[in-house]
Amino acid sequence: MRHHAIDVFLRFSAEVTGFKIVELRGTGESGEYLGTLDRIVGPDVVDELLSAYAELQPREEAEREQLLRRQIFGNEKLGPIARNIIKLWYVGIWYQLPRNWRERWGVREADVTFTVSPNAYTEGLLWPAIGANPAGARAPGYGSWALPPEIPQV
Amino acid sequence: MRFPSQAAKKTQLEAACQHTYDVVIVGAGVAGAIIGNELSRAGKRVLMVEAGLGEDITVKGYEEYLQRFYATAVKDNQSPYPVNPNAPMPRGTTVRPVAPGQPETSGYIVQTGPFISDTTYTRVLGGTSMHWEAKTPRMLPEDFEMASRFGRAADWPISYDELEPFYRQAEREIGVSADVEDQRYLDLRFPDDYVFPMRGLPLSYLDRMVDKGIRGTEVEIDGERYPLKVRPYPQGRNGIPNSEYDGGKGYVPVGAVSTHQVEEGERCQGNNNCVPICPVQAKYHAGKTLAKALQTERLELLTQAVASKVHVDPETGRVSHIEVKYYEDPDEPHFVTGNIRGQLFVLSAGAIETARLLLASNLPSTSGLVGRNLMDHAYLLNWALLPEVAGTMRGTNATGGIVDLRGGSFRRSQAAFSVDIHNDGWGWAVGSPYTDLLNLVDDHNQFGAQLRRDLAQRISSQLLLAFMVEVLPNPSNRVTVDPAYTDALGNMRPVVSFSVPDYTMRGVAYARRFAQTVFQRLGARDYTFYDPTDYGYIHYEGDGYIIRGGNHLAGTHIMGTDKHTSVVNSDQRSWDHQNLYLVGGGSMPSIGTANVTLTLSALCFKTAQAMLEELR
Amino acid sequence: MAATDIQTIDCLKDYLYRAMQLEHATIPAYLSAMYSIHPQTNSDAYHILRVVVVEEMLHLTIAANLMNAVGGKPDLTRADFVPEFPTYLPDGEKDFQVSLQCFSPSALDTFLKIERPGLAPDANTRRIPRRSRGTAKLAACPEDEELEFYSIGDFYQEIERGFEHLYRVHGAALFSGDPKRQITSEYYYSGGGELRPVVCMESARAAIGLITGQGEGDGGGIYDAERELAHFYRFEQLKLGKYYEPGDVPHDPKGPPCQVDWTAVYPTYTNPRLEKFDASSELYEYARDFNRDYAEFLALVTEAFNGKPQLLLDAVPKMFRLRNGAMQLMRNPLPASKASADSAAAGQPDGPANAAPTFEVAEFAR
Repeated sequence: MRHHAIDVFLRFSAEVTGFKIVELRGTGESGEYLGTLDRIVGPDVVDELLSAYAELQPREEAEREQLLRRQIFGNEKLGPIARNIIKLWYVGIWYQLPRNWRERWGVREADVTFTVSPNAYTEGLLWPAIGANPAGARAPGYGSWALPPEIPQV
Repeated sequence: MRFPSQAAKKTQLEAACQHTYDVVIVGAGVAGAIIGNELSRAGKRVLMVEAGLGEDITVKGYEEYLQRFYATAVKDNQSPYPVNPNAPMPRGTTVRPVAPGQPETSGYIVQTGPFISDTTYTRVLGGTSMHWEAKTPRMLPEDFEMASRFGRAADWPISYDELEPFYRQAEREIGVSADVEDQRYLDLRFPDDYVFPMRGLPLSYLDRMVDKGIRGTEVEIDGERYPLKVRPYPQGRNGIPNSEYDGGKGYVPVGAVSTHQVEEGERCQGNNNCVPICPVQAKYHAGKTLAKALQTERLELLTQAVASKVHVDPETGRVSHIEVKYYEDPDEPHFVTGNIRGQLFVLSAGAIETARLLLASNLPSTSGLVGRNLMDHAYLLNWALLPEVAGTMRGTNATGGIVDLRGGSFRRSQAAFSVDIHNDGWGWAVGSPYTDLLNLVDDHNQFGAQLRRDLAQRISSQLLLAFMVEVLPNPSNRVTVDPAYTDALGNMRPVVSFSVPDYTMRGVAYARRFAQTVFQRLGARDYTFYDPTDYGYIHYEGDGYIIRGGNHLAGTHIMGTDKHTSVVNSDQRSWDHQNLYLVGGGSMPSIGTANVTLTLSALCFKTAQAMLEELR
Repeated sequence: MAATDIQTIDCLKDYLYRAMQLEHATIPAYLSAMYSIHPQTNSDAYHILRVVVVEEMLHLTIAANLMNAVGGKPDLTRADFVPEFPTYLPDGEKDFQVSLQCFSPSALDTFLKIERPGLAPDANTRRIPRRSRGTAKLAACPEDEELEFYSIGDFYQEIERGFEHLYRVHGAALFSGDPKRQITSEYYYSGGGELRPVVCMESARAAIGLITGQGEGDGGGIYDAERELAHFYRFEQLKLGKYYEPGDVPHDPKGPPCQVDWTAVYPTYTNPRLEKFDASSELYEYARDFNRDYAEFLALVTEAFNGKPQLLLDAVPKMFRLRNGAMQLMRNPLPASKASADSAAAGQPDGPANAAPTFEVAEFAR
């Protein structure tokens, strides 16, 4: 278990998803997602991303957003992985990396589009973000659909 | 509802072949289940033959379906159900556009076009009722009189009023939730004291927003004005029982089916996943009826047995036996053959499979209409963003819609339609909400709190209007078979050729204008786009549209009043084979603008009554 | 007919309040076990727990109907309504306590005790509580030290005797409550039984019979009068590894296998309290939010029980939201610093424990 990595991974994930660490852990999927990253792009690349993020940490929030764009989301190698991490948390799907990424940094065999696990789907954060439930899971109860949606303010 | 343990496995082919049953039924979907239940409860010995796997219907088995659905990245109609090469199923995700003159063979159905459909049906215990949406509108009285009122298609051999009592039986069996006062429109008639088994499901917040925007406005067609409103759909899923039902006796909802006692699914929980699978079985599926029938111990189930040939005595024209191919392993093409005998035979395998089986059996047909007049609703999707958050992605798939244009004098020249407001947003049209996420992350470069806000704004204000447009029978729209195309067991696959009739396309073109009008009145931004490279793209009078299949397959053995112009009579009995009943959507001579299940269920209650009289 | 302690309508109301407390007291315990199960696993256990919880809520509602029938005011917001866990059951069963804990063999043993059948198998002798409780006195009200029933069934027998007695004294005037306050199936639905208004002695008897039958079975059998498997036997299936089938006798189920995976469970802290959380942490905020939501839920149900039955429909989505909040807590580790002092104490899971809802609602009381 990569204890330090998981802490940084959760801090990074919280910042890029807009959800709290309690909510991320509350999916029960944090270990699974870090493991998926390690398995597909390898721990070296994951650590590179997390180190780049750790360096931004002491900065002020406003400044950090710009740095996140310049150094992570806008980084040719790390950007697509960072975006995939958002998608993992939101819908539990690993999306195959863009072709130019694979051409430049090597094709990973496991890098295909797939749902990480049944739970990864049902615990997706997209649904709480829009005040709904993932279709087919975590039902909201009879008649709840007639009420206005409760979309958490962020 | 208890499903007797091992009932799906216990009947062996050899044993089944040694009996002569009162009734042999092919296909364990809703039509077969209703007839099997009615006859077994009346004391008849019934064998039901099912091509799908021999798994008891249980909560755990259901959860396996559910896990398969959760785990797939592409959640199409068939995604919960196992791939079975020995009883293959058509699948929307495999459909591709084809070059003219080139058949589309990548899916189970071979399609020769020109229109390529993504329509599906499911070959598991319970049939397509496992993934049906469970919207249960009745057909309109005028739908039964298309020829005499509009000079189109043919009249049914029975009227709405004759079918009405059977509609009530079907509504009891399926467990329909609706308020009768909402359903009295366009001359839909109910007995004065009738109430549905359960109260109507509330309209979604989204429905109410649309209603607020259009109520009090009108459209004009063919010189007649039609006021608009959003009306709740009757639904085959459990709601609040109506204590006034059945003369004050009330109604007890049927929840989940399993081999042990469970209490689940007695009321819809709003999973927003009716299609492809209701996770709690609050939605009706044929397994509920099948479980009741199995409890009589007079109905046996022979699963993993694909009916492959109907044999007829050339002297009498009566069916002597049905040949089945029984397989042990869905992934191995090995099978043994057996002959199933009975007094009466029922083919209830769905409009395409029933026709396929008859054609593969090479039976004589006086009318020559077996496989012809294939129908399915043509769906036209229109999508827009409402000016404010509407809570999309909640509720059952469709709680309400605009149904005022299901009937009217305009049907002399153009197709009618009903409009579903899709509570699952743009999913059907463009793959929301996944595509919205990808777009915002990859193209709009959003993350963090802004991403959350953008997602909520974009997804929660989605409005998808799905127009279910009427398709009339046309003999050249048909199912055939061709020895060049077979499945793993060597059974011939269905070959479908279909073109969308002009009558329907006139309705489609009007539907598009109607959607634009509604969006205008709502102040919604129209994002509808029909991609010319899509397999369902149709060019009509200068504009392009994408038509999607409705999975409302019908018309391959239509009923009528004589053997030269129809395949079955109004009891769904074959004109050519006195002891053969062809049941289901295939018997319907037209489909109006109602999802077909309720009507075909009503027809099956009528048929069961006729069969019991014959067996008496 | 045995004598009863319940000599006045006020005393009956006190007993009925105790009945509501009793029905409610089991719910946090069952929910704590149910939500600790890893999703998509332990299907058999999850479904059994779910049905039992739904039926306990039904019983709570029936107790409220009985209370309303005699002109009482159901109140789920009283300071003593939600017990502190671990707790004895409010009917005075003194040989075991109920804890908030994850799904585990010890949790299951407790559940079997909660739902155990009454001591005496036949209907007549079961009416007599196991221990003598002195002579009946006027205006006797239930106090912990006075109430000593062996089982929930015995407790309800006392209530039924009280109803019978007061009905002989007051006649139909006993049922002085406004029938419009009664909750019917239209507002609360459970497959386990029809919720009928309590407006007369006959309907009161039927209501009590439904509660006891669902808990422990009818007349010593495994089913209640509506052919529903009683809670005790539902739980026993998990213990014995098989489902009961029609025709089976107690303790010998012969149906399909019923499986448990004790490892597919989040190891939550047993009987958690907010004081075990770091008050400056996000986790603390979420645990507190859960308690506030739970308090609001009880307040809404109270309102529903006091003349606004339609509010129960609004309570359903709130219930599902509580589920989401509980599951979120249970997947978060409870930092060791605060919890470690007790980690070796009896009843805690081995190794690090996760957070869990504490069901402390006092600070949010109205």
